[in-house]
Amino acid sequence: MAPLVPSHEELQRRRIIGINAETVTNIPSTDFPGHWPGESHGWATDQFKKDFQVEFHSNDQFEASFSLIGLDAAVANAFRRILMAEIPTLAIEYVYVHNNTSVIQDEVLAQRLGLVPLKGSVEGINWMHWFRKPSEDDEGAEANTPSDFNTVVLRLEVECTVNPDAAADEQDPRKRYNNAHVYAKDIVFVPVGRQEQYFVDEGAIQSTNPDILIAKLRPGQKIEMELHCVKGIGADHAKFSPVATATYRLLPDIQIERPIIGEDAKKFANCFPKGVIGLESVTSEEAARRGSGYEGHAGEQKAVVKDPFKDTVSRECLRHEEFQGKVKLGRVRDHFIFNVESTGQFDSDVLFLESVKVLKLKCAQWKRGLTDLMA
Amino acid sequence: MSREAYQVPSMGAQQNTFGTETGGFGGAMAVDTPSVVYLCGECSARVPLKRGDQIRCKDCGHRVLYKERTKRMVQFEAR
Repeated sequence: MAPLVPSHEELQRRRIIGINAETVTNIPSTDFPGHWPGESHGWATDQFKKDFQVEFHSNDQFEASFSLIGLDAAVANAFRRILMAEIPTLAIEYVYVHNNTSVIQDEVLAQRLGLVPLKGSVEGINWMHWFRKPSEDDEGAEANTPSDFNTVVLRLEVECTVNPDAAADEQDPRKRYNNAHVYAKDIVFVPVGRQEQYFVDEGAIQSTNPDILIAKLRPGQKIEMELHCVKGIGADHAKFSPVATATYRLLPDIQIERPIIGEDAKKFANCFPKGVIGLESVTSEEAARRGSGYEGHAGEQKAVVKDPFKDTVSRECLRHEEFQGKVKLGRVRDHFIFNVESTGQFDSDVLFLESVKVLKLKCAQWKRGLTDLMA
Repeated sequence: MSREAYQVPSMGAQQNTFGTETGGFGGAMAVDTPSVVYLCGECSARVPLKRGDQIRCKDCGHRVLYKERTKRMVQFEAR
């Protein structure tokens, strides 16, 4: 028996998550075999290729917004989690303090420095290996020694002095003293070995945000330290995460079930962010049609849904008596609006492709594991 | 380079100079005693002091002096 094929309307209905005043309904996806009697819903690559869509909304260097449509939440969430926790970047890991007479304690300063986002040539980052840490509990594992391919050396050497050229009554410490503020741009990269070929000019290891304030000094105080950066992943420590934010939301869906006309329409539009609801005048055809709800309202303003993308789904419209039963709010279950903001090492659109690469790698690994299991 | 274990500097030479000293005239003693730099508690000036010197800042006359921070390298994990 051939499997039943649900109508387009029915499929559309199943895609919508209902958002009511106090409840959310129809949350889990049901497009898997065995849920709907007689229907197939088997996963097929061809069908997925046909249905899956990607739409870019904005794509700046360090912030991108795009939609993935026709995808299961599990996969979309996997991408989000991989973005945050499994794409490697460089961060300061070891801090060797030679001298620190500033008011900020060594360990606090070290922790602060670790969180400074770094950037460098992507080619160089990919060339670098992991640095395996020495561990006490695993004697068999060999610890790495710092080399050009696993450690990047940075130096921070700042001494605060009195500025002899400053006016006698100068109140601003930044003018009165030299180096009163230590910024991320004061960290200098010391290339070792092959790093000189990979991290050149613009590709040198440096802070993405040169104006991060690291410490404040007064004359006579001094910071002198060597910083060793290693490659790591966000799952180990947040400082290795290549994204500032990586989030998704579902596309909001607004259905006006019965006409909202006149003053109500204006009030209705005010329940939503600007641009979500538009006002149009009722045409004479609509007014002439019986049972449409517009009879005798020709020329009046009616509310229409213009751009549900901009909605925040605040549910404000559900609080008002006059809109009861006239509107249905929801979200589209398989339309994920991603927002990826890079910390500066990678371009934001490249980051997403990296996450796809990592997921592919994991799948290949798992497949290998399965074959080993069968053998 | 910097991840080597720290070597405690041997104090042998200095202890010898202290050991041979027989408490003669102050002037003669000051020649071979090493001077140690302290920081003034008032004006944070650097005050080099030798053995037997008066504990007093040469700039402001303050009588509280502090030791300088150790020159030893300290390792931290940035996390």
